[in-house]
Amino acid sequence: MALLDIRNLELGIARGSELLPVVQGVSLAVEEDETLGIVGESGCGKSLTALAIMGLLEGTAVRIAGGTIHFQGRDLLALSPEERRRVMGAEMAMIFQEPMTSLNPVYRVGDQIREAILQHRSMSGRQAHQRALDLLELVRIPDPMRRIDSFPHQMSGGQRQRVMIAMALACDPKLLIADEPTTALDVTVQRDVLELIRSLQARTRMSVILISHDLGVVSETCDNVAVMYRGRIVEQAPTSTLFSNMSHPYTLGLLGSIPALDHDVEWLDAIPGRVPTLDEAVPGCAFHPRCFAAQGACRTVDPGAAAVSPAHFVRCHFPQGSSS
Amino acid sequence: MNVPLSIAPVFRGRALATIGMCWLVVVGIAAIGAPLLAPFDPLEFDPLVRLSDPGWPHLFGTDHFGRDSLSRAIYGARMAIVIGSGSVLIALVAGGLVGMLSAYFVRLGHLLMRIVDVLMAFPALLLALVLMTLLERSVLNTVIVIGIVYATTTARIVFGMTLKLKRDVFVDAAICSGAGHASVLFRHILPNLVSPMLVQASFIFAFAQLQAAALDFLGLGLPPEVPSWGNMLSEERIYVTRAPWLLIFPGALIILSVFSMNLVGDALRDNIDPRFKDDIAGV
Amino acid sequence: MLIYALNRVLTLVPTLLAASFLVFMFIHLIPGDPASILLGDTATPEEVAQLSRELGLDEPLWTQYVLWLGNVLQGDLGTSVFFREPVLSVIADGAETSILLATMTMFWIVLFGVPIGIVSAMRHGSWVDQATSGGAMLFASVPTFWLGLYLILIFSVGLGWFPSSGFPSIADEGGASNLRYLVLPSLTLAAPNAALIIRLIRASMLDVSREDHVRTARAKGLHPVRVAIKHIFRNALIAVSAAFGFTFAALVSEAVVTETVFSLPGIGRLVVQSILRRDYPVIQGVILVIVVFYTAINLLVDLAYASLDPRVSLK
Repeated sequence: MALLDIRNLELGIARGSELLPVVQGVSLAVEEDETLGIVGESGCGKSLTALAIMGLLEGTAVRIAGGTIHFQGRDLLALSPEERRRVMGAEMAMIFQEPMTSLNPVYRVGDQIREAILQHRSMSGRQAHQRALDLLELVRIPDPMRRIDSFPHQMSGGQRQRVMIAMALACDPKLLIADEPTTALDVTVQRDVLELIRSLQARTRMSVILISHDLGVVSETCDNVAVMYRGRIVEQAPTSTLFSNMSHPYTLGLLGSIPALDHDVEWLDAIPGRVPTLDEAVPGCAFHPRCFAAQGACRTVDPGAAAVSPAHFVRCHFPQGSSS
Repeated sequence: MNVPLSIAPVFRGRALATIGMCWLVVVGIAAIGAPLLAPFDPLEFDPLVRLSDPGWPHLFGTDHFGRDSLSRAIYGARMAIVIGSGSVLIALVAGGLVGMLSAYFVRLGHLLMRIVDVLMAFPALLLALVLMTLLERSVLNTVIVIGIVYATTTARIVFGMTLKLKRDVFVDAAICSGAGHASVLFRHILPNLVSPMLVQASFIFAFAQLQAAALDFLGLGLPPEVPSWGNMLSEERIYVTRAPWLLIFPGALIILSVFSMNLVGDALRDNIDPRFKDDIAGV
Repeated sequence: MLIYALNRVLTLVPTLLAASFLVFMFIHLIPGDPASILLGDTATPEEVAQLSRELGLDEPLWTQYVLWLGNVLQGDLGTSVFFREPVLSVIADGAETSILLATMTMFWIVLFGVPIGIVSAMRHGSWVDQATSGGAMLFASVPTFWLGLYLILIFSVGLGWFPSSGFPSIADEGGASNLRYLVLPSLTLAAPNAALIIRLIRASMLDVSREDHVRTARAKGLHPVRVAIKHIFRNALIAVSAAFGFTFAALVSEAVVTETVFSLPGIGRLVVQSILRRDYPVIQGVILVIVVFYTAINLLVDLAYASLDPRVSLK
């Protein structure tokens, strides 16, 4: 049984009395010790999916409208808030896109890591301190003895993201969700942080969901890839299969535009046009207005997910042939 | 460039603020139509009906001189509007000018804002008291004193907002295209300040009522014969056990009007440029 | 930190000097001869002439100011016309009442303001929030003397729970039980200020709750109450602490009205009575003392602010 099993997840933004769909029919599975990459442009629903898995949608305008999320065999959506909090930060942890603002500016980083440990583990303050030091060492912060007493504003973005990772690993989670962990960092630092996540995964055998707009990053890191467009998964396959046989025109477009930007991209140059806003109804395939291969049926009929090969699904009327 | 607030979206879904606005309209009507609406002369003594209970013909009762409380309350609306709008006018014009000029002309700003700092070293009520000791009790002087007190805070707020605007591209563009200082200040910067200053105005209007009432109470505000809600409270407070209605009606009028103005200000504030939201010192 | 503190103190010196000059000018702005004003109506011409010499009234204005400032710095604020006592000791007599009143008022403000503000922010949008923030705005709209009169009417005249006026000094007689005289006045003074604090705490906490680090805290699996207090309120406190300080500093002068309603022998009532008695030396002295106190508290607020926010101390 998969560690994480999402079936037909539906998310909607509450606007007045109606619910505007933002994520539709997303099904994903993550096995133990496996890395799943979710790729797409900003606004495709990848971050909201991550927040839904983590249980952080409360307090936002986004509601879960349907579907199930099973984690270690338990239905997360059926848990009480208290049971849910026992999973959050313990068996499942998350790091975010904005390391500069993701740490509380008024507490020392050591205190913030200790808080994550003591929330789920019963140990003495001294033991927690030692554990925090070990964690800082694990994420390769130089001079942890001194850094543990630093305030976030005294650290660089890369170091803060390392602290975030240390905090996420505080209770040895089974699943780490990394939402664009390197996007806000300098290009040189991006590599180090990705390499760190990869080596930590190899060491702890945890599963990772890596969310990115950069197909390049995902191809280097992940076992499986899901490509999202406008709230749906349009292509999903093991990384090697996907790269040997890209079927969805959107995925091809993503590959054509390897963005070397510091920030989440608003649109991709290689794909003409922009993502339609949520209010705009697009009949047929949601991608057809920007698709080079669009034909008659694409404009009227929404393509369902179809298997190209046993583990390779694509949502397209006219999947592209194998590329060489 | 943003257009001054339009009314409809401000009050949509805000029942309390809408009721508050309606109440302020009622106060405005009472102020304008006081001579027609008041059943008695607000200044006329009638020793035969001293401290009479609310009833017919004196709906709000009478005070210890036998004056009709309802008529005094209606004329009091006039004073409320005069004090409120007068203080707002002085505070916004003086404070607004000082703030804008200080932010725009840096060296002048050093001088003017230091003066504002010095005035702000005096707590608001104390500053008003000191100024009132130097001046005679009159409606005009009360308005001027309250206006000056709030001109200092307004100057500081407008100073901050103008600094933010000065960094904007459109101001640079205006300067580059050869616009004069006056043109940049009044045609490019001022229109952006109108909405936040309107919000500030509503809070000053509300605070001015409370300040004026406090001055009246201390015997340092309006001359005692002027029918204002503050004076009504001040003069009749010794009769509070014998004739509690004498304090309930004017008190309720002050509270209702200040509350309404605060509600309206609060509603307006939610509709201005979010950059300026934290600048406004309101409730 | 120490350098930061010294810096702040130094920037205040010119402001205080300018403010003291305004206070000095107060006597000169009143129509009439300053020496006769300071001595009151009963002074003989000889006394007036002597004081004129002491004040250097023949000298230029700035010499007079320097003379006056020199006296002030030595603690000589002049002599009260009414009490025939040094102004400083007249003010000192009112200090006990004023400081106790302000402290007790702050106690109520914190006791009611902080929890209500936190609950209002945590439940924002709910009926609890609408009731508390609406109620707070209503309380901020009530004239304090009106509230005070009705508290007297209900709790002193009606129920007889608290005395309605006066405050016998704790040092002289009665001991700490005299504090009951201050319950109603301090509640009166606290009401509008607590209302402002509630609304400020609510607004600041809502601002902080939208920041990214709050999501991080929730992702640790912390209980919502813990997130609200340790991560949201603690950060909002940086802005709110400044308001606490300003409120406390302003209380001494805001108490003017309350002390008058409850006939408390504090500095506030002293101002009003001195104005009505035309006791100008006392007015001048009280203004100066309040301005210095107000500025000092605001300085402490700045320093407290710096110590609450680790980001400031580096500057």
